[in-house]
Amino acid sequence: MNNDRSAKPAAAWPGVARMTARAFTALFGGYAAAAALASLLARLLPIAPAEASAWGMILSFLAFAGLGLWAFHERRLAIVAAAVWGSALVAGAAVVLLGARA
Amino acid sequence: MNVRPTFPAPAPPVRALRQSMAWIHAWLGLLAGWILFAMFLTGTASYFRPEITQWMQPELRSASVPAEQAAQAAINHMQATTPDDQQWFIYLPDDRTAVTRVFARAKPNPEKPPARRPELKLDPATGQSLEARDTRGGEHFYRFHFQLQLPHPWGRWLAGVCAMFMLAAIISGVITHKRIFVDFFTLRWRKGQRSWLDAHNASAVLALPFHAMITYTGLITLVAMYMPWPVKANFDKPDAFTTAAYGAPAEAKATGTPAPLLPVGPMIEAAGRTWSGDAPRTVVIRNPGDAASTVTLLRATGGRLNARPDSITFSGATGQELSRSPSPGPAIATAGVMLGLHLGHFAGPSLRWVYFFLGLTGAAMVGTGLVLWVVKRRKPNAAPFFGLKLVERLNIGAIACLPSGMAAYLLANRLIPAGLPGRAELEVKAMFWTWFGLAAVSLLRPAKRAWIETLCLATLAFAALPVVNAVTTDRGLIASLRTGDWLFAGFDLAMLAIAALCGLAAFKASRKPQPPKRKASVRAPATASPRPAPVKESVDAL
Repeated sequence: MNNDRSAKPAAAWPGVARMTARAFTALFGGYAAAAALASLLARLLPIAPAEASAWGMILSFLAFAGLGLWAFHERRLAIVAAAVWGSALVAGAAVVLLGARA
Repeated sequence: MNVRPTFPAPAPPVRALRQSMAWIHAWLGLLAGWILFAMFLTGTASYFRPEITQWMQPELRSASVPAEQAAQAAINHMQATTPDDQQWFIYLPDDRTAVTRVFARAKPNPEKPPARRPELKLDPATGQSLEARDTRGGEHFYRFHFQLQLPHPWGRWLAGVCAMFMLAAIISGVITHKRIFVDFFTLRWRKGQRSWLDAHNASAVLALPFHAMITYTGLITLVAMYMPWPVKANFDKPDAFTTAAYGAPAEAKATGTPAPLLPVGPMIEAAGRTWSGDAPRTVVIRNPGDAASTVTLLRATGGRLNARPDSITFSGATGQELSRSPSPGPAIATAGVMLGLHLGHFAGPSLRWVYFFLGLTGAAMVGTGLVLWVVKRRKPNAAPFFGLKLVERLNIGAIACLPSGMAAYLLANRLIPAGLPGRAELEVKAMFWTWFGLAAVSLLRPAKRAWIETLCLATLAFAALPVVNAVTTDRGLIASLRTGDWLFAGFDLAMLAIAALCGLAAFKASRKPQPPKRKASVRAPATASPRPAPVKESVDAL
């Protein structure tokens, strides 16, 4: 609040709220996106379902770490939120629509 | 207001990446550091989980017995005591455990639910029930390092979040430190903040592959809980995944027709032929004494990287093989090897010590990072701001007071009477009361004195362990050296070494920090190297 004057006038939200939204997106959005992308990979890999699920689980943490760090690197919060929550929604919806294999 | 989250200013792309990664690295480390330090320290101790358990039950002495004999002796004991049970679990001893452990599950009875039976310890050779002091042993450090003494499932989730922070901190830390191999050789003592940065970099870079491996594989150990979604994407029921991945032992309902249980020795021999001579680690017997009884053998995993045990199931009445686990596919095998790399069961004594020391460098990396956060932000001749004081106090509580708590756990094992009811819980309480109590008391002292005094207490506590052991048991250091009891001798010597380490830390904490002498720096003068001084750059980056 007290540093609003020095902040960019275009910022609609104060810094603390933006940082909270960013951290929330990195932690929970990053988890949701990693889970959805790993699930989609597991569903689509043309190998035995158990093997595909295991690759998805093994790689999911790498995806989570990468997404989480990128959420703090990209300066534009709107891009971060759109990419993280968007990929979670799209991949998650695809997994739900495809349904279980076995 | 140094604690306010200020985002780095715009900069050219590569420099911007290093700046943002340095910023997030500091925050990840700060938020998760105290718990991560405790996870690293107790997890490192857990590489000696069976040895700690043996030390904490000095009444028991290990005796090496073949698996066939131990299994049959345990089965004879179960047949004599609880023949009508639904299931027997027999955990066989190996060269690191002294006793056979058995657990029996009674038949379900809806009218009168049977009382939960305790796990029993048996003499591996005779099957006689053994009495020893009640203790959690090394299992306590092991459980704490991923459950954090919190109710299920919150401890595991918190540990998972911290491990995830650790993974992100490792990645961002590597990006921040582009001159990673130079950092490897850079450790300048007694230069204040620079020394802390050097120590943080050296301990992190020295064992970087280990830290990355142990963090990632740690997440994999609980992946089924943390990340069940890829399984749900392919399977409607989680059990279907388990069956597809690991197979399901043959199972049949009890027929009610009695049939004697065949000797287990030939089954163990048959399994050994399939397992290139490996012995079983666990024997599970369903419906003993029934015509439909089964004997499932789980393979000991001490000899290989994959920690997921193979299994073979035999008919208890005919001795015929009924089923065996499928050979795992590449992904399942990868996950099994990751589990094995984390647990380190495959490691022989020397590699186990390497694991132990690398684990200590992990604790050192987290600890020096936390100290560096404070040292970097402390301004000479200025009152420390609230956040700085808070972090410094939490550093003292987490880093300097936990070792005393761990020593108190071991001391309590020797000082609480062996027959006292509820003594196992008292031992655990001794650790946490000492740890948190010491952290609270240290608030009464100036920060610098608090560091020195708590570390001195840890030194005393660890140095007292061999003494208390010698006074309260007949297995003191001199006796164990004389009889060649290397487990007890090694334990006492390790406690003395840890005491020396705590003493060294206390001594270092008591030294006056030297102001960095920029002119007299040992580093080569600017003419010798065309590049700017690396440390200055890293300091700025942090």
